[in-house]
Amino acid sequence: MCDSITLYGVKKVYDSRNGPVHAIGPADLSIRKGEFVSFLGPSGCGKSTLVLMVAGLLPPTEGEIRIDGVVVNEPRTDVGIVFQTPVLVDWRSVLGNVLLQVELRGLDPAQYRAHAVELLESVGLGEFLKQRPYELSGGMQQRTAFCRALLHDPPIVLMDEPLGALDAMTRTRLRDDLEKLWLGSPKSVLFVTHDISEAVQLSDRVVVITPRPGRVEREITVDLPHPRDFDVRQSPEFLGYVKDISDIFMQYGVI
Amino acid sequence: MDTKRTGKRNTAPTEHSGAPRAVDHGTTAAFFLASFLLWEVIVRIFHVPRYIIAPPSAVMTQMAARFTDIYKHTLATSLETFVGFGIAVLVGVPLAMATAFSRFLRQTFYPLAVTLEMVPKIAFAPIFVIWLGFGFGSKMVVVLLVCFFPILINGVFGFTSLPTELQYLSRSTGAGAIRAFVKIRLPYALPQLFVGFKGAAVNATIGATIAEWIGGNAGLGYFISMSTGLFRMDIAIAAIIVLTALGLLLYGIVLWVETKMIPWHVSQRARINATGSA
Repeated sequence: MCDSITLYGVKKVYDSRNGPVHAIGPADLSIRKGEFVSFLGPSGCGKSTLVLMVAGLLPPTEGEIRIDGVVVNEPRTDVGIVFQTPVLVDWRSVLGNVLLQVELRGLDPAQYRAHAVELLESVGLGEFLKQRPYELSGGMQQRTAFCRALLHDPPIVLMDEPLGALDAMTRTRLRDDLEKLWLGSPKSVLFVTHDISEAVQLSDRVVVITPRPGRVEREITVDLPHPRDFDVRQSPEFLGYVKDISDIFMQYGVI
Repeated sequence: MDTKRTGKRNTAPTEHSGAPRAVDHGTTAAFFLASFLLWEVIVRIFHVPRYIIAPPSAVMTQMAARFTDIYKHTLATSLETFVGFGIAVLVGVPLAMATAFSRFLRQTFYPLAVTLEMVPKIAFAPIFVIWLGFGFGSKMVVVLLVCFFPILINGVFGFTSLPTELQYLSRSTGAGAIRAFVKIRLPYALPQLFVGFKGAAVNATIGATIAEWIGGNAGLGYFISMSTGLFRMDIAIAAIIVLTALGLLLYGIVLWVETKMIPWHVSQRARINATGSA
């Protein structure tokens, strides 16, 4: 199987006023093409740092990251990024925000309009194309951000706790939406979360990260059928995965 | 569920957003009228001498009688105010941009500008009179100076305040500096730029008036100084009222442009809701 993203001894140490802060690593890991991998860990374990390093937005202190064999040493343009907050701009409509992705690339937005509308319709925002972000609920704003990350059809999608700032009901809905989006067009996904059942529902593989300095504690392959709907989530197998992972964090005294 | 929530927000925004209630312009007008009446009555009842303060009726009489003079001086002050403000915008915004993006300018020009900001600009006025004479030039330059700093400082702040995630997003598209600036950084900075423009608009007439006092032969500031020299409070107050109107006009224009340029900003949304037109 061909690897899409590979981490070789990646480590990040931040300089701070109180001396160096060892955020994460060294971490070795590889993510296959089309694989959905979650980074699961407590807050402050350097998960977000890892995502930014893969995107080429932050240089690692040690080690290297390769995407399709090429060392990442500048921002990658073949990724789609979703942040914890929607990061939409208020002066553009919902559709305009999605099209910003291609406009920033100097591409003709007219050519991507149909695809953008299609993506927005698939997450139930078809009637809100002309609305401004501030007229939408938090969940709808985050869906808009998903569409923006997918518009240019990137082979890699990086998500930094995209559901972290949402209320519990909206999270459940958006998890299903995410799963549907991914099943519709499988991409290599690197998904950061601190929610165990979220990680189990969405991932092919869950990478459990320890409290800071973050290290890869264990990799767990989730062997359950998709879509992992309500019934699957109540199954003993699903709950077994959740329990196994919970046990790890119990040992660390995180939960 | 989402749909329902948003629909509700759109139909009744004022109930949820805590925005101020709609302004009743009738109440405002009545209050102003009553204040002028009270002023008139107090001056008459207590027989306040005319060289101490003139009643509104006398001010209105002079406004009409001295219309030609007032008109002439208003033109002079308007020209200084608007040209000075305009040049401050044209110079201030590009300089703020350059300062925001140049480490060198942030270490050299910017500290100098901030230091100069601490100097009372009016102190320069007599120097400008020597350099540029008693006419338009020296006054306009004072206006330019008092307008320039709020624009520069707010501009630098606006251009450097782009949230980290938006910078990441922009960099992950490979957008060059110019495209990222036009599509994201400039629109993001606009609300802060308007804070600067509004501060400058408030300063503009102050600068013009004081510059005219210090050394001038035309303008409303000069006219006020002449009138008070002759203890003609009625004429001086008439000129002050026109000067106030001039300041309000400039400020009003800036506000109008702001509503046109950044209708999406949270401050504008509150205003639209408050006037009930949303």
